Amino acid sequence: MVRPRDQGLSRRAFVKAAVAIGGASALSACLTRESGPDTPTDASDLPTGVPDPSSLPRRQHAWNDALPRDDHGNHVPPSHRVLLYLDYAGEGTPDDADRETLEAALGSLERAYPRTVEGSDTRSSGLFVTISYSPSYFDRFDADLPDSVDLPEPSALTPFEDPALDTPDALIHLASDYGSVVLGAEEALRGEQGTLNGVDVSATLDGVVERVDRRTGFIGDGLPADHQDVEGIPDSEPVPGDSPLYMGFESGMEKAQAGEDAVTIPEGPFAGGTTQQVSKIDLHLDQWYEQDSRSHRVASMFCPAHAEEGRVEGTGENLGNTNGVVESGCPAHATEDARQEGVVGHAQKAARAREDGDPLLLRRDFDSTDGGQAGVHFLSLQRGIEDFVVTRTAMTGSDLAREGAVGRQSNNGILRYMTVRRRGNFLLPPREHRAFPTPEPS
Amino acid sequence: MTRDNVTRGTHDVGRREHRSVSRRRFLAGAGALGAAATAGCLSSLGFEEQSARVPALVENRPDAVYHPTHVEAMEMVGMGSAGPYGVALSYSFPHRFWTVSGTDTSKVSIGASDSMHLMASVWHEEAGVVLPSAAASVSVSRNGETPVDRRPWAMLSQRMGFHFGDNVSLPESGTYDAEVTVSPPSARLTGAFEGALGEPASASFDLEFDPETVRSLEFTQFPEKAGSKAALGPMDMMAPKRSQLPPAGEFPGDPVGGATGSDGSDTARSGDGVFVVRTLDAPPAGADGSGTYLVVSPRTPYNRYPLARMSLSAIVEGGGGTRFDGPLVKTLDPDIGYHYGAVVGDLAGGDELTIETGAPPQLARHEGYETAFFGMEPVTLTV
Repeated sequence: MVRPRDQGLSRRAFVKAAVAIGGASALSACLTRESGPDTPTDASDLPTGVPDPSSLPRRQHAWNDALPRDDHGNHVPPSHRVLLYLDYAGEGTPDDADRETLEAALGSLERAYPRTVEGSDTRSSGLFVTISYSPSYFDRFDADLPDSVDLPEPSALTPFEDPALDTPDALIHLASDYGSVVLGAEEALRGEQGTLNGVDVSATLDGVVERVDRRTGFIGDGLPADHQDVEGIPDSEPVPGDSPLYMGFESGMEKAQAGEDAVTIPEGPFAGGTTQQVSKIDLHLDQWYEQDSRSHRVASMFCPAHAEEGRVEGTGENLGNTNGVVESGCPAHATEDARQEGVVGHAQKAARAREDGDPLLLRRDFDSTDGGQAGVHFLSLQRGIEDFVVTRTAMTGSDLAREGAVGRQSNNGILRYMTVRRRGNFLLPPREHRAFPTPEPS
Repeated sequence: MTRDNVTRGTHDVGRREHRSVSRRRFLAGAGALGAAATAGCLSSLGFEEQSARVPALVENRPDAVYHPTHVEAMEMVGMGSAGPYGVALSYSFPHRFWTVSGTDTSKVSIGASDSMHLMASVWHEEAGVVLPSAAASVSVSRNGETPVDRRPWAMLSQRMGFHFGDNVSLPESGTYDAEVTVSPPSARLTGAFEGALGEPASASFDLEFDPETVRSLEFTQFPEKAGSKAALGPMDMMAPKRSQLPPAGEFPGDPVGGATGSDGSDTARSGDGVFVVRTLDAPPAGADGSGTYLVVSPRTPYNRYPLARMSLSAIVEGGGGTRFDGPLVKTLDPDIGYHYGAVVGDLAGGDELTIETGAPPQLARHEGYETAFFGMEPVTLTV
């Protein structure tokens, strides 16, 4: 499918570029450009947030009720993202003054922007903010995390990856359908803005934390196609104009996602929290788009039966709220497919890791052009990191490479098209402990 | 019958010759040329000439190994060590080749911007044997840019045997840093390989790219032999590394089912693959179980390259029942070589052994191999 070329830089392309660059000048340019006919509500005219942030859900990861839904009932993830990797600026452990500063800074973002923006007939995402903490952060304390929290150090999880392991103390995730909102929030945290959306910014993180890395990205129909002039995507501009992700297919269907309850830590001092895993993955899609057939792409992404029976139209929007692999019995056939079909699908493999039929991961991942490279920031939430390890092991499919005709990466889902460059594990505490928690909060 | 009739379909996903040039590539090209390049100007730079050099495929290719239309010389970039592995990096003129997905083949044509066909061979240094079960990734970078970062295809060619290769595009002449990373084999490891080869390892090379050097590589056509049931011989350069399996007559173990001749004649054929079938009194270290170990060594005719990444099962019937019915496991053993094996218990004279192929070898193919090793019928032998 050939997508007509945009004349000049489209509005949303411009906004995405501004988010990637960041800073006050990008914010200012972004605000000017981000009012257009397809914006549900003018970004410069958004309502303010909640007067009392403690009225927001205890679970930082409780986004679903506030997200828009598509025609199939799938939750639509916020389009623009920033991940801020932070180190505590002080020595030793943070004190109560640091906690108050951090809580005030986070709270001011929530007072400035609502999570949900209700338009006349559409809904969009205003601003979602989470903060999470790494095992390295908790190492600052003498006490250990309770057994109710499964948060090991990150590690390589396959024999063919060698990711750098992220050890910053904390990670703030900003997400919005408006590029200017994530940029503005970031500027406010840096102390560069006295007011945000007309709301006083009562505290900044300047002097409390140091930013050690900044990652950005996007997800949603058309955004990947608008940003395919990067390493990892061939020059033929192959990404379909209506695809939400670089690989050309829908993802994150409702039935392939864990529910928020399922990923929530049920007990202990961090009950109501969850764990978060973030992998930075480079994509290599030259072969995918230039040498593989459509049939192979469908078989590799979903399941050989999907290719055989022509179940996937275009990006797969026709699949609705499920990728259809479980309904087709694909997971149970993985070994047989590896032996008889010579191909196994990514979704087919991943769906082998389920608990009572339900997936273990709640994916909030997105694509990226960081460093001029097509990539994915694979952000997943799960009750404990072991759930990620189990799912990732199922997706790696070393058992299938050993028992079947598929290779470690060849014809083995989408492994040959990606390289995991970095990985970090984090605890996303419940709201009352989100500001510099100790390992044993009371 | 052509092979197209026995598979679900074929695809030609070669790069479109008329595709436009992206801004990124356009700027790279314009900078190098100092002229306003346009999409149509590539032909004036000699790229059409490159494609025109490659002869058309022969018509009516047999469902078997056949002699290709042409062969090109190869330029060695270098040899290096990566942990326990030896790695050779080389290139030749861009090739057409076929990827394999199940029983489908997809022809990959030479693209207008392809600079070379880049190849990596990987062997175990101590054992001196090519490893058809490892995986490799290759990156090629220069001045902070990485124009090539991918996992080349596991391929089979008549001159090279098993190797990793792909057509790649480099923006301009110069010296590039090339890095080859070898991932551990996925096959079961037995003998001296048991418990080894668990870590990825990398080797680096200086890759000098000059389009003129690529263009001037020796090129030979075979108008008479092309399409005949024959094959080019292995290249001398790989001689110290065993990319070929031992002939049937020198293969370890006791023959099953008759002919195994000292002349290297073969026990069975299927889909033009040659199956050497043997039994060992005991499995190699690293394979579970005790009792007779069945070894099946499928290989290409003529050159005896291992047919890797297929799935095989064995059924043994005798004594009024089924003695064994199960998968044969892909196994890498320094003494036996790459094979498919299982402990089958005790066999008796007169037992009937059937070897069934599930998916055919999931290896990309160079010309002359793309129609062979499909539609592989069961092989039946009498013990």
